[in-house]
Amino acid sequence: MAEATRALPLGTGHRTRHARVAPLFLAPALIVLALLLAYPVLYSIWLSLTDASLSAGQLDTPFSGLDNYRQLIGDKSVSAALLNTLYFTVVEVIGVVVLGLLTALLLNHPMASWSGFRVFLLLPWAIAPVANAVLWKWIYHSNYGILNSLLLQLGLIDQNVTWLGDPFRALNMVLLVDIWKSTPFIAILFLAALQNIPKTLYRAARVDGASTFEAFRFITLPSLNTAIAIAVILQTIWSLRVFDLIFVLTKGGPADGTVVMNFLAYRVTFNFLKFGYGAALANVIFLASLLLSIIYVRLMNPGAPRGR
Amino acid sequence: MAASQSILGRAGIVLALVVFVFAATGPIVWLLLSSVLQQQALTSIPPDLSPSSFTLANYLEVFSSAAQLGRAIINSLIVATFTTALAIILGAPAAYALARLEIKHAGTILLMVLAAQMFPAIVIAIPLFITASKLGLIDTKLLLILVYLSFNLPIVIWVLRGFFMGLPLGLERAARVDGASPLQTFLRIVLPISLPSLFAAAIFAFIEAWNEFFFALIMTRQTAQTVPLAISAFAGQYQTMFGQMMAAAAISVAPIILLTILLRNTILRGFADGMLKG
Repeated sequence: MAEATRALPLGTGHRTRHARVAPLFLAPALIVLALLLAYPVLYSIWLSLTDASLSAGQLDTPFSGLDNYRQLIGDKSVSAALLNTLYFTVVEVIGVVVLGLLTALLLNHPMASWSGFRVFLLLPWAIAPVANAVLWKWIYHSNYGILNSLLLQLGLIDQNVTWLGDPFRALNMVLLVDIWKSTPFIAILFLAALQNIPKTLYRAARVDGASTFEAFRFITLPSLNTAIAIAVILQTIWSLRVFDLIFVLTKGGPADGTVVMNFLAYRVTFNFLKFGYGAALANVIFLASLLLSIIYVRLMNPGAPRGR
Repeated sequence: MAASQSILGRAGIVLALVVFVFAATGPIVWLLLSSVLQQQALTSIPPDLSPSSFTLANYLEVFSSAAQLGRAIINSLIVATFTTALAIILGAPAAYALARLEIKHAGTILLMVLAAQMFPAIVIAIPLFITASKLGLIDTKLLLILVYLSFNLPIVIWVLRGFFMGLPLGLERAARVDGASPLQTFLRIVLPISLPSLFAAAIFAFIEAWNEFFFALIMTRQTAQTVPLAISAFAGQYQTMFGQMMAAAAISVAPIILLTILLRNTILRGFADGMLKG
């Protein structure tokens, strides 16, 4: 069905009346969003230009210009968090996109048509983030955790490992959980994209004598181009947001090994009560997310005719 | 496609499916199992899974020993219900306007709604915390209800706009020909036939609110604590009572898992498509 027309085609007399009514449909929602999103962002920009801090229950906001941003550049904890964030994001995006694609291809196979498989796929996505974090804290437990028991029984390790005891190992274990939790949604995205590829393309390829791999390389992958680009952008944005998992599993430790930018901004603001500096950190994350959103929006091209 | 028909290819697919099922469900099965096992069974190496180790005591103890979980469940229900209702009431007309009515700068508004879903929580959390402190709203359910609109309203608008665009135009055209105003058309024609979609969007918003942790951590202290906070507090407090910890987690997860299974088709088709196409 062609639904390129967003507005109902009606006589001009009606149109003027609708032009008056339409904003009333939209205004309440837009006012609420302006108060909850636009106002805080502007406030946050102003805060980051002050030396705001909470002392004795009072918020002082002496103007300090770009001092916070200057301080950011030389701050060792910031560069460490930045490095952790980069590593976390790159590994997570690659892991989630590759695993998501493999899962989608598997579930798109005729032998996996039982709907139960799709329900299984949704489970890690549906489980509440905090319950999930608590679950993995138990799985990773150094004395009684099931991970150690399993690996010991399989003979893969010969003594219990303290999974969250070493900074770099802890970061990787947090990554593992987040990849496990994030893969399903991306796989669902790819499944939807796979189902939009016309079957006739594959039939034609088979007639022309193409192998399974060739069909994948020259039909499947090119058809998934946009979906893969969208998956990379969305997952990057989501990776920058990870918080619940780190808060419950490691609280940023050991030795700040799992402090990412988002967690640092939280800690600086709400533990150290340096609101100005925290806002500056938050704005850096915001800017990165905003740039990624703009790329995502370009890829989506909303409002364009939907070809279905 | 010839390779997939061979026995070897079929065996490969079966093996991959087994690995997939184990990876997707294993941790959650362990969560449920742990919640009905005695502490002694859980701290044996390997865990003792004999029939005598099973118990429901963990669930009973979670509720009796931690009164805050009961209160947290009530808080979460109130916050999630009201924020969802507000998101639908505000979002449905906006979504309809963006889908069907003539609006100046519709493209720009749409882009902003889409970008709003990508906002990092921390950037709005700091100013909202300061403002809420000045207004004396910290540790109130009202604050959470309002703050959760920041992510639920854009999602609801986006999802419902997709649904409204998919409706056949015929009924609305007929209503207009009969002289119905856009508001009458929306209330009497569009909303009644969209009830399943509204319900699906509402469930989605409810789940998001039920699971939210970050804002709740910052904006509440004791009285307005929600379930995720109670669960995380549990993990710290009863570090050694693993069965109880998992029972608490299972309680918070159960309703969501049930809703997901019920709504699987809507989620699989509607939402994934919505993220791919405008």
